Amino acid sequence: MADSIAAELRTEFGKGAARRARRAKKIPAVLYGHGTNPVHLNLPSHEVFLVIKQSANAVLDIAFDGKSELALVKSVQKDVVSNDIEHIDLLLVRRGEKVTVDVAVVTEGESAPGTIHAVELQSLTVLAEATSIPERIVVSVEGLEEGTVVRVADLELPEGTTTEVDPEAAVVLVTVPRGEEEPEDEAAEGEAAAEESEEA
Amino acid sequence: MLIPRRTKHRKQHHPRRTGAATGGTAISFGDFGIQAVEGGYLTNRQIEAARIAMTRHIKRGGKVWINVYPDRPLTKKPAETRMGSGKGSVEWWIANIKPGRMLFELAGVPEPLAREAMRRAQHKLPMKTRFVRREGGDL
Repeated sequence: MADSIAAELRTEFGKGAARRARRAKKIPAVLYGHGTNPVHLNLPSHEVFLVIKQSANAVLDIAFDGKSELALVKSVQKDVVSNDIEHIDLLLVRRGEKVTVDVAVVTEGESAPGTIHAVELQSLTVLAEATSIPERIVVSVEGLEEGTVVRVADLELPEGTTTEVDPEAAVVLVTVPRGEEEPEDEAAEGEAAAEESEEA
Repeated sequence: MLIPRRTKHRKQHHPRRTGAATGGTAISFGDFGIQAVEGGYLTNRQIEAARIAMTRHIKRGGKVWINVYPDRPLTKKPAETRMGSGKGSVEWWIANIKPGRMLFELAGVPEPLAREAMRRAQHKLPMKTRFVRREGGDL
């Protein structure tokens, strides 16, 4: 289900205009795709933030200039410190069209006692229908023993979703954690190297 | 302690302290992280102290990633030395941290334990930092 967002066309450009828009609680955005000319928009900041917070691959129903277009959030630029959204790239999509997106891989449950699981593949590139992109791919690690490797081929993808990632690629590894080790050898080597470099 | 094995030049200028991090700002490996909110110089001793604080608290279990490397030498002239006679000797190895940089990551432990371990590590760091968790998150 696409979220409806009322946008307005952007008429002034550049960093000054973009900053004025941000101060007015709007996010500069660009809409492109299907060979059309790019359209520059201002989106309402809070509504878009709430939608993107729920799903990184949100599909928005953008209403502007008396028409409405379906768009996929392709890229979000954020301020690294404040996490404020600075700009959004929107990709035009049609209902039923297949798109390539990265979907987060999350684990569920606890592996066998004394083991930990490491997520090797944090996100999986999948091909899915634009209107039914999975929010996340869930991998159950419940009771998995040491040495178990969950591979891409073992994942249960939602219906209509496929991936071209190597089926042998590891997604989750179950290992026994090592205790704290003091890397004395490395430290000694490093210090020796530093002394050598000083002497040189 | 982290020290480069070999360097191209023994002594360098001081690294720039302005601007924000342009890369390494997201959690790439683990589930939780410590992110710098301010810039500053992070020494290899501080990195080691933070790592020890974290690993000792989580005991067995969990995996820690150090995302920064102290590859810049800083020099110091000895006390009570007259000016001149060249640049001082290398005293510290530092990582130049910009706001937004992810410093450490942690995985394989529950969130309350990760928060406490990272809180202890944050006390060893010379700049303001915050605890972050991976977007999407575990169920």
